[in-house]
Amino acid sequence: MSANDHDQRLEEAVAFALGSLDPDQVDDFKDHLKTCKRCQEELRWLAPAVRALPEAVEPQAPPPALKARLMAEVRADAEAEQRRVKAEKRQERAATGGSFSAWLGGLRVGSLTWKPIAGLALVILVVAGGIGYAVGTGGSGNDHTHTWELKAEENAGIAATVVREGEKGEIHLAGLKQLPKGKVLEAWVEREGKVEPVPALFAPDKAGNASTTIENMKDVSIVMVTREPEGGSKTPTEKEPFVQVPLET
Amino acid sequence: MPPVRRDKAERLADEELMPWIGRKDPEAFEVFYDRHGGAAFSLAYRILGERSAAEDCIQEAFISIWRSGGKFDPTRGSVRSWTLSIVRNRAIDALRSKAGKAPKLTFDDDEILAARPAEERTEDEAIMHETATEVRGALTKLPGEQSKVIELAYFGGFSQSEISRMLNLPLGTVKGRMRLGLEKIRGELAEGLA
Repeated sequence: MSANDHDQRLEEAVAFALGSLDPDQVDDFKDHLKTCKRCQEELRWLAPAVRALPEAVEPQAPPPALKARLMAEVRADAEAEQRRVKAEKRQERAATGGSFSAWLGGLRVGSLTWKPIAGLALVILVVAGGIGYAVGTGGSGNDHTHTWELKAEENAGIAATVVREGEKGEIHLAGLKQLPKGKVLEAWVEREGKVEPVPALFAPDKAGNASTTIENMKDVSIVMVTREPEGGSKTPTEKEPFVQVPLET
Repeated sequence: MPPVRRDKAERLADEELMPWIGRKDPEAFEVFYDRHGGAAFSLAYRILGERSAAEDCIQEAFISIWRSGGKFDPTRGSVRSWTLSIVRNRAIDALRSKAGKAPKLTFDDDEILAARPAEERTEDEAIMHETATEVRGALTKLPGEQSKVIELAYFGGFSQSEISRMLNLPLGTVKGRMRLGLEKIRGELAEGLA
């Protein structure tokens, strides 16, 4: 191909980048592109300029009603998805029988008895590299979710979920009452027999949900939560944690 | 999986937010909309020229992102440019369908950009974080005849032949102006990063 011919190809590359290449030239240009390093380089060079063009537009504020309509549709979609997932879990539970429930049902940690939330007896798999497993069914690995419901009268209705993803983890609480003034939630982990505080303090939102991140889940055997004075504590000030989630490591 | 908290979602980078959207998390999606909805609406309005048409376009584009959020591939550019390209394609389709013509979008750089080295992606990200004023500056520095063909191509969705007929110019002139103009914008952006 002569230099002149190739200049034409570079002009086509510009039009292609802008979405302005004539439709009858597109397939031919794509074929050329497969083997032409120079045109590939030209497109790579131009791509950021094309991507920057929308930023040159005069800003216009979208009407708040647009967001309201959009989020209403999104929330309706999400609720439908949740219903679908719940229905699937019910079917899974029916299919896997009660052996795992029995294993969890008898578990006692400290002075609290924990039972799996109805409908979530099966450990939910967390995707990490595409492989998950169910605790108590002979699997192995480190990535999983534990969900528990507190039955002790004082804290009845509180559900705790610990999600492990690689070295990190999160504890999610639901059904919490609002904290007294000057109190925060503090999580603790038991690692090789020692209790360590989790630095990120947290508090329930209006709906009674609260979460915090556990940066290092290595060798953690239990995740616990207490109510502590604002600013947190180095050692728990409550006699017993009101949440304790034992983990299968 | 419990929903992500709003304050946590706000701390996540776009690329970290997308998997939550893939898991159908409305809080994550709301943060995503708050970040990019303004730029997306501005782009749709620039192309369509009517607020109601721009609203319809954004509603459709963002719902399609919500329903395919998990499909975003972080190795192929930023979330923002991916989002704006979806909005641009929808707006041009709407424009052309309103004008009674079939959509004819040709720009799909996924294959070409898929193998970009990391340093090029970093430069790309840096350019996208340039202020809108700077990017507008690069466009306004162009001679009028060059910016016109670029605007007709990108914001109007017109092919080079259509622009040639519209402006009553030889096709070769349109091609030359388009190339010169876009390369100048690219050069300005690269200088801004130097």
